[in-house]
Amino acid sequence: MGHYSTGIIIILVLAALTVVEFYVALATHSAVFLLLIAALKAILVIWFFMHVKRLWSAEGGH
Amino acid sequence: MAVATKSLHGAVAAHDDHAGHEDYATRLRLNRLGMWLFFISEAFLFGALLATRFYLWGDTRPELDQMVGLIVTSVLLLSSASMYVADTAAEHGQWRVFSVAAWTTMILGLVFFLGVVIFEWGLFPQIYEGHLTPWGDKYGAVVFAMTGMHALHVLSGIVLIFIMWRLARKKHFTPEKHWGIEAAAIYWHYVDLVWIFFYPALYLIGTAHH
Amino acid sequence: MSVRLTSLALVRGLIGYFVGFAAGMLLVMAARLMLGMEAWEQEAVYVGGIVLAILSFLLASGAMTDWLKWTRGIATPMRHGPPPGQPSWARYFGIDYNHKVIGIQYGVTALLLLMVGGTLALIFRVELAEPSLSFMSLDSYNVVFSLHGWVALASILLGVGAMANYLVPLMIGAEDMAFPRLNAFAYWINVPAALTLMLAIFVGGWDSGWTAYPPLSLRGAVGYQFMFWAIFGIGLSSILGSLNLIATILLMRPKGMALFRMPIFCWAVLATSLIQLTATQFIGIDFLMMSFERSLGMPFFNPIMVEGVNMGGQPLLHQHLFWFYSHPAVYVFVLPGLGIISELLPVFARKPLFGYRWIALSSLAIALVGFLVWGHHMFTSGYGEYLRVAFMISTLLVAVPTGVKFFSWLGTLWGGRLTFPTPMLFTLGAISVFLIGGLSGPVLATVTTDLYLHDTYFVVGHFHATIFGGFVFPFFAAIYYWYPKITGRMYNETLGKWHFWIMTPAFWVMSIGQMSVGVLGMRRHIADYDPALQIATGQLWVTIAGFFIAFSVLLMIYNLFSSAEIGALAGNNPWRSRSPEWQIPSPAPEHSYASPIRVVGEPYDYGLAGSQYIAMAGAGDD
Ligand code: HEM
Ligand SMILES: [Cu+2]
Repeated sequence: MGHYSTGIIIILVLAALTVVEFYVALATHSAVFLLLIAALKAILVIWFFMHVKRLWSAEGGH
Repeated sequence: MAVATKSLHGAVAAHDDHAGHEDYATRLRLNRLGMWLFFISEAFLFGALLATRFYLWGDTRPELDQMVGLIVTSVLLLSSASMYVADTAAEHGQWRVFSVAAWTTMILGLVFFLGVVIFEWGLFPQIYEGHLTPWGDKYGAVVFAMTGMHALHVLSGIVLIFIMWRLARKKHFTPEKHWGIEAAAIYWHYVDLVWIFFYPALYLIGTAHH
Repeated sequence: MSVRLTSLALVRGLIGYFVGFAAGMLLVMAARLMLGMEAWEQEAVYVGGIVLAILSFLLASGAMTDWLKWTRGIATPMRHGPPPGQPSWARYFGIDYNHKVIGIQYGVTALLLLMVGGTLALIFRVELAEPSLSFMSLDSYNVVFSLHGWVALASILLGVGAMANYLVPLMIGAEDMAFPRLNAFAYWINVPAALTLMLAIFVGGWDSGWTAYPPLSLRGAVGYQFMFWAIFGIGLSSILGSLNLIATILLMRPKGMALFRMPIFCWAVLATSLIQLTATQFIGIDFLMMSFERSLGMPFFNPIMVEGVNMGGQPLLHQHLFWFYSHPAVYVFVLPGLGIISELLPVFARKPLFGYRWIALSSLAIALVGFLVWGHHMFTSGYGEYLRVAFMISTLLVAVPTGVKFFSWLGTLWGGRLTFPTPMLFTLGAISVFLIGGLSGPVLATVTTDLYLHDTYFVVGHFHATIFGGFVFPFFAAIYYWYPKITGRMYNETLGKWHFWIMTPAFWVMSIGQMSVGVLGMRRHIADYDPALQIATGQLWVTIAGFFIAFSVLLMIYNLFSSAEIGALAGNNPWRSRSPEWQIPSPAPEHSYASPIRVVGEPYDYGLAGSQYIAMAGAGDD
């Protein structure tokens, strides 16, 4: 399980943000909050799932 | 000079000692950069579609089935998790885990795709009666354009994962050298990333038009 | 040596193209029958043909063979040298991975397209030489100038690809591009795409000019579909090619070559590639949506009024998407050329390049600010009033980094020990022509004057001057300058000078002529004009000048062909350049650099005693 724990945590956060997003949309029609939440989710995906850091550091088991 | 180099127009040149020898680490750096440049480029493709959506719809949106939206979004999110597991498993040489996770991703991806085609597009009215058509109005046109372009990427992602799964079965990859799997994984996450923006743009932002 | 024709990728590809075309059409018709529709519907059926034709070309030519093998786990070694058992010219018609071969392929294709585009221009210029219709119809005039526009633009994009592909790896001492197979693919997709573009005239062509504004572009002949998909293909080439160039420039430089020590042309290519990588997606998706609106009726651009509410698309959406690409694209056309100017001036002035950093950064600045100015093409479109001023200001801002380049060129020339062989002449000619074009820009960028000048021949004069000054003249300069590197021989200097001295004054006449008939009331895109405008003489001059230009280009083509056989041997470094590519033998060997190079000094320290740019193992033994 050890290798995968980061991923699991991130997925849970993403799921939570999706739920938040859904309820925010019920309360307001403004795009601003929704796009902010989307941007936050995007950053999480880019950083933890897509390992953008490997572009400038040689990490990644190689 | 020691090396037998002939002109471009002449015969085959010596292969050994020239400026172009590269090791795996160099190639990997290039491949990663290339992949990310591709993502940057594609961001403009999806950005153009988003711009189209906001230009034509403004602060309105079509009346879509919220349940369908939430379910397909969750399915895609789950597939990102399984892809993460597959990628990490390959890194640690756990090939059984990799195989199961890769198949999970492919199946979830397919479920997402079918969800879009059956419930958003209403292609199979026997199962689900959709009310949008691509030629009906600006809502139908843009929904089909955005989900269509995204679905195309989902499908190609599934094909990519399948290729990598097959290569992995042939012992093509090692924990040190598995760029193909990494590429498929970050591509898959990218497709998910696009949906992170498409979901609110299609389902949540603006007031539903009746 | 004899060659089996089908061993040439080009021939296989062409066969694949036409077979694929027929198959695609049949496929769509069969699908329509199965869905209970009538088999023939030209939009859908032709689109099926075009898409499958382009795909089949790429498959049959072998441009994707290695990748397909990779999917099955088969390793494919790099290929070097001509295909075994074939003469050396055969590799230029094949899928070759060497960037120098690919650069030449780009260049020759670009020149071919340039000649096709130029010929089309001469045809409709004859029509315009005097008032009233003489030998063209209103329709054929529209189709011919439209085709001229895109063929010429395709030629420019390929010419840019030629210079970038041939020169960048050489200039940074790299073995090849980062992704050689992608490089070959990016070239080859241009071939079926350009073919598709030209086939359009057989189905009525398209009559809107290159900008394809709806609603006209949604209603005209099916030739529009050919154009949309052709440009999509050429755009894909732009995207993949620029991706490759950026990766190459960022990661494959030798030791010691910091970004600010690259040959300046590489900066121009970097800036250009950033535009191509990103903005091109906008025209791609725009033309796809246009195609789908025509074949499936998806209303992106055509309004549908329902009880006073627009439930359909908006024509202006196209203008936004189109210009968001096409304005930055004009910098794609000219930035590499401006880089060539900066590259050649120090060599022929024997002086350091004035303000290297400023030039490098001005390329980036032009590229970035270029994304914020697209609205200057829409001053008369009826978009929000407040947008006009914003776009006017942002557009005038671009003039600043452009001015930086001019001052740097002047500073480089100032006090130099100038010599004037043909490449230098074309470089100076480029500056003079680009000046004319550049100065007409702010006139158009000012809303008050543009309201009068929009859609007149003044705009035509403006962009021909910028494009000739920023691309065509520098491209010719580059061809003459690197000709000895490519062939090992010198071009004929006398013929080269003739070329220059015919083309340059003719171009001035053409430019000034176009602009003045425009100011006097000549509209662009119109086959006829009223003699009362008193522009007939001006029009005649423009046409005559056009023929002079065309003739001079033929001189160059002849020169290039004949000198390859009989030109004097040029030696390795006839221009006494400091750039890495001139420190290796001419013609450049298969593997350009026998050993890695190292950068030890500044690139343009011409005339500074003891200065050195690069060090090579084995250097100094010449
Ligand atoms: C750098 C070289 C340049 C190139 C290659 C270039 C190219 C072009 C082209 C191709 C068009 C015509 C588009 C059409 O078909 O309608 C055009 C129009 C225009 N250009 Fe440029 N241009 C350049 C520089 C400039 C500069 C420096 C400015 C202003 C500061 C400028 C301002 C404009 C404006 C305002 C128009 C629109 C005119 C109209 O349609 O009414 N251009 N340019
Ligand atoms: Cu512009």
